[in-house]
Amino acid sequence: MSRLAERRVAPEPPPPPVRREQSRARYPDETGVIVRDGIHVAWERYGDGSPTILLMPTWSIIHSRHWKGQIPYLARHFRVVTFDGRGNGRSDRPTTVAAYNGAEFAADAVAVLDATKTDRAIVAGLSMGAGYALETAVAYPERVSGLVFVGPSVGLSDPIPGRHAVAFDETPPAWHGWYLYSAAAWRRDWAAFAEFFFGQVFNEPHSTKQIEDAVEWALDTDPETIITAEDAAYLPALEPAIGTGSISPEPAALGYAGRVRCPSLVIHGDADAITDVSGGRRLAAAIGARLVILRGSGHNPLGREPVKVNLALRAFVDQIGRDLQ
Amino acid sequence: MSSGRARLPDETGRLAAPDGVGIAFEVFGTGDPTIVFLPSAPIIHSRQWKGQVPYLSRHHRVVTYDGRGNGVSDRPTEPDAFSDDSYVADLATVIDGTATDRAVLVGLCTDGVWRAIRYAVANPDRVLGIVAFAVGVPRLTPSHPHYVASGATFDDELPEYEGWSKLNRHYWQQDYPDFARFFFEEITSEPHSTKAIEDAVEWAVEGSVESMIAEAQVEFPFDRDAVEAICRSVRCPMLLVHGTEDTCQPIARARRLAEITGAPLVEVEGADHMIPGRHPVLANLLIRDFVRSLTEVAVP
Repeated sequence: MSRLAERRVAPEPPPPPVRREQSRARYPDETGVIVRDGIHVAWERYGDGSPTILLMPTWSIIHSRHWKGQIPYLARHFRVVTFDGRGNGRSDRPTTVAAYNGAEFAADAVAVLDATKTDRAIVAGLSMGAGYALETAVAYPERVSGLVFVGPSVGLSDPIPGRHAVAFDETPPAWHGWYLYSAAAWRRDWAAFAEFFFGQVFNEPHSTKQIEDAVEWALDTDPETIITAEDAAYLPALEPAIGTGSISPEPAALGYAGRVRCPSLVIHGDADAITDVSGGRRLAAAIGARLVILRGSGHNPLGREPVKVNLALRAFVDQIGRDLQ
Repeated sequence: MSSGRARLPDETGRLAAPDGVGIAFEVFGTGDPTIVFLPSAPIIHSRQWKGQVPYLSRHHRVVTYDGRGNGVSDRPTEPDAFSDDSYVADLATVIDGTATDRAVLVGLCTDGVWRAIRYAVANPDRVLGIVAFAVGVPRLTPSHPHYVASGATFDDELPEYEGWSKLNRHYWQQDYPDFARFFFEEITSEPHSTKAIEDAVEWAVEGSVESMIAEAQVEFPFDRDAVEAICRSVRCPMLLVHGTEDTCQPIARARRLAEITGAPLVEVEGADHMIPGRHPVLANLLIRDFVRSLTEVAVP
């Protein structure tokens, strides 16, 4: 029997379906990968303008496409650099908790700035990305010329009622609502959690596309990766400055805020159902940041109010440019 | 109704149609040539073009008007007021009353497309071209079966009103907002259409149920041969745009009109009926490029 006939009898199984990325309004001009401690982190650069804006990763449940509403516009005026946070997108998915410490995201950011030959950048972050941006600015102040925090989740917000319905490692009494924020629920049905969670993130009417996108990005990673990252040190309390004695009991972010020296902007929706707007107000007050409150907006105005966010971002960047002149 | 517009009109006014019905119009911008948007009345009003007006009025003079039975135009309730001729007369009233010598006409579905065609045939020197979305030329090919079925029971009192049987005069009087929701959800079936649906329902509810019922009594006055003859006598360029999933107007109508007129047809893959509202960027670029192609020809 010929090989061909054999193949006809027992054809190879079809390759697994490949989920194709959506088309993009703007494709990167340059892409690359940095490697730290053997972990690959993928970055992209768009445009050649000035200054450079570094769009940080957020919680690794999603990846750098969460800036899709900003990149095409900002790249027409500035130089834009993004990277996929470790744990999602085209970056590696490390299996150790410490690999997801906030300090590692900040070190990745600086490695990406090095790889893209960027001396200094305005650094922007959404939600947990705000914490990563803060960490970057405090640990590497010479690399950060401005900070933008969107819906910052840095431990300064009033609690959202019902948000912590169950301890993360406990089996929840039911499989709905905030009970889904648990390792057991994630392992049981990751997509169900993502659909619930992003429904809370995008709680404005007419958000079906934003929710669909975010769920898709969540499915680009897996629950074990995000469970591993859950125990990492996000914004650890800073070492006390020399001579000031013991570590302060105040939230870590306030300790960081006191060390920020660059101009900064906080954008926060006053209907945010993930991180209450009070946190954005407190962060802005602590840093002396300009504060933009978006009426009726939820946790991710990047996706839901891109025009308002982009105009605020551009005005902020232009103002920094004028102040430097 | 006028809350939060991206672009406010530069001029508004009110004109009397030949039968005395008041027609409200708005004018935006100044560039040549003028683009006149026909309303899909009486079910919705001129805000249906909210995705087009701000962009196109940056380049062109744009005229919109509310059709009789909705918006701030009058709301007659007798069937005679909704004859095919009265729609065409409203367009003529607006074109004349805004001192528009010649214009590009843009319409959606029967109220927009068929009346633009009829006006263009009667006034060939006044129409530079027609952009026809969801090519609603009646009788050109058979209607969707759900319209045939609901049309047959429109005047009947039914034990219950489910699905397309909500297209019924008694149900309209009972729960018109629910009909509007059903209808626009059906004909805007693409994902992520909640805003387009919400807008259309709002405009529908602002209209007059009595006008809708009056309009539904009117028998379409042409048979298929007469419709084809009218279409064949169009002399201006046309652009046809139709969604492959159009639940209101069968795409066969667009293909047939393209066949008998030679007009180019853009088939929008996966799109349903409300292309200008649901795919505004696509619609705007198609209109812009079509208008440009006309003026490029006109300049020696």
